[in-house]
Amino acid sequence: MPAQAPSLTARVLSRTAHAAPLLARVAIVAAALISFVPAPPRIVLGPPQTVITRNPAICVHTRLTDEVEEWKVQRTLALVREMGAPTIVEYFPWPYVDRGEGRYDWSHPDRIIRHAEHQGLRVIARLGLVPARLRPPAEERVTSLTYLPYDAFDEFAAFVGAFVARYRGRVEDIIIWNEPNLAFEWGNRPPDPEAYTELLRLTYTAAHAANPAVRVLGGALAPTLEPETSGYAMSDLLFLERMYAAGARDWFDALAVHAYGFTAPPDAPPDPAAINFRRVELLRAIMTAHGDENKPVVITEAGWSDDPRWANSVRPGQRIAYTLDAFEQAAAWPWLEAVCVWNFRIPVDQSNRRDAYFALVSSDFTRKPIYDAIQAYARGWESPYTP
Amino acid sequence: MSRMPAWPARARDLARRARQHPRRSALVTALLALAVVLWALTRPGMPLGPVDLTWHRMQVNRDFYVGIDPSYPPFAEWTPERIEGIEPDIARELGRRMGVETSILIMGYDGLYDALYTGQVDLILAGLRADPLYADWVHYTQPYFDAGQVLVFRRDGSYSGIEALDGKTLAVEIASLGDQTAQQWQRRLRSLEIQRHMLPQDALDAVARGDADAALVDTITARLSLTSYPELRQAEQTTASDEYVIAIRAADFRLINAVERALDRMRADGTLDAILNRWLGSGS
Repeated sequence: MPAQAPSLTARVLSRTAHAAPLLARVAIVAAALISFVPAPPRIVLGPPQTVITRNPAICVHTRLTDEVEEWKVQRTLALVREMGAPTIVEYFPWPYVDRGEGRYDWSHPDRIIRHAEHQGLRVIARLGLVPARLRPPAEERVTSLTYLPYDAFDEFAAFVGAFVARYRGRVEDIIIWNEPNLAFEWGNRPPDPEAYTELLRLTYTAAHAANPAVRVLGGALAPTLEPETSGYAMSDLLFLERMYAAGARDWFDALAVHAYGFTAPPDAPPDPAAINFRRVELLRAIMTAHGDENKPVVITEAGWSDDPRWANSVRPGQRIAYTLDAFEQAAAWPWLEAVCVWNFRIPVDQSNRRDAYFALVSSDFTRKPIYDAIQAYARGWESPYTP
Repeated sequence: MSRMPAWPARARDLARRARQHPRRSALVTALLALAVVLWALTRPGMPLGPVDLTWHRMQVNRDFYVGIDPSYPPFAEWTPERIEGIEPDIARELGRRMGVETSILIMGYDGLYDALYTGQVDLILAGLRADPLYADWVHYTQPYFDAGQVLVFRRDGSYSGIEALDGKTLAVEIASLGDQTAQQWQRRLRSLEIQRHMLPQDALDAVARGDADAALVDTITARLSLTSYPELRQAEQTTASDEYVIAIRAADFRLINAVERALDRMRADGTLDAILNRWLGSGS
């Protein structure tokens, strides 16, 4: 009598039993390989926070755009909130998110804005820089990362529109470009107020189409005394005049101003031939002369450096006194919304000495005396640094 | 019965084998000797060792390029005539002692390390502090100046240590490193009154007037100011050091040796002090 053929189940079990050693080895190798994959960092947002301050005009310019680790973003913004600044200016470079053909990777801006919201901070977004795909090859032309070809203005405007649409209701203030009155910031080309006005027009239109409530901050001009013919820079006063002459009045909702004091105290009188904090009054006068007095001004960069080896710096005590006086000075200007101190912290102090000595917190998160002084001022505490 | 240590027995065994195989022994010995000679010859400075191309170029061209940021008087300043100050003087003296002509290249502070890395300059002399970030390719020399915080007091006083400040009044510049150091001392002493002033000169004024027992200010301010205060003197050592060093590419071992040697001699024969005194005053 022939032997009965084994059932299908028995055959499967038998083959599985034979393959068991191989399967076990594969499982071990797979487990070993999986163990090499780093676990995602765990960032716990915690309960939502609010800013406690007695001066809502206090603002800082953060530099989180180059920060890789998320905990540093979180720690930085927590320190901003604890200091008593309800507003930050943060830089969102176009090439960092641009993936070409209208595609964007928003993961890093998402992270920054999520943490800022969680700390109860308002974000003023500074938008700029140019993707490499739009810049001329380095062997053809010496430029900087800020070289935006005139025929690519509409592409930048599309990016601005996409940014505004994505963060509608979360980011309501955007700054268009940075210091266009410096050749370095204009792609190593002579500053061109008329071209910048055209850029404002295109971006203003795109931004308001994406979110009618958004405010476009124009200008962000560098304080400089360079004449119109310099080629390297153009006086911020002249630049603003030419912007108005080119019709810029209709294409921005507020003026962004950079107001550095260098060695002068904040009450040094405004003078077209001097760079000091109150130079903002000269820019304001130009706005008024062009019937634009209803628009507010936001000082998106300001501050004093206490770098011991820079001729344009002040002593640490003067830096504290001048900064706090500037906040008070600004409170007397009803047209001024905020004074944003440049800068809160940079990722690596050694990478830029100039910025490191403007910072309120060192890159290892050590709070400098000026941080404690601003915090005491903002929170109404007794100042740890009074004569 | 005590056991003999193993190694003499092994050594005797090895010697016995060597006697049994003299040719093989000679070959092994020769190979070992060759390895030692090769190792020695490939050390830095030996004929087969790495070449210090910077030093070689300096010897051929008799030139020497120093990167300086001239924004820090009296350490370095760009006057209409020339670059002058402590650091240019040290650079020129180093060049003189090495028998080469010093060329000072002016650059912004943030470009200094890039210039050193790319070989535009042979060393940087710009009030640098030793920075671990660059330790893998930069050699930092011995300090040529300590800009740290120093106690200043009246000539009839003596403050050898912080204990001597117990119960005293210490004048400092607001928010300076001296202020932060004084706050640390305040926690360690039974009583220390900190008197804060906007400028370091104001702190020295307070000591001169007798409103404070001592001042803790940076060495540069102390040395520049004390000529105006004959009644004051500064402590011999800083209490919180802040040493300025020279940065050289670590691969340039011959240049490093030459610069370190030159600094040693400048310190020993008083040249370094003379340069510092010329620009900062003697501090007394």
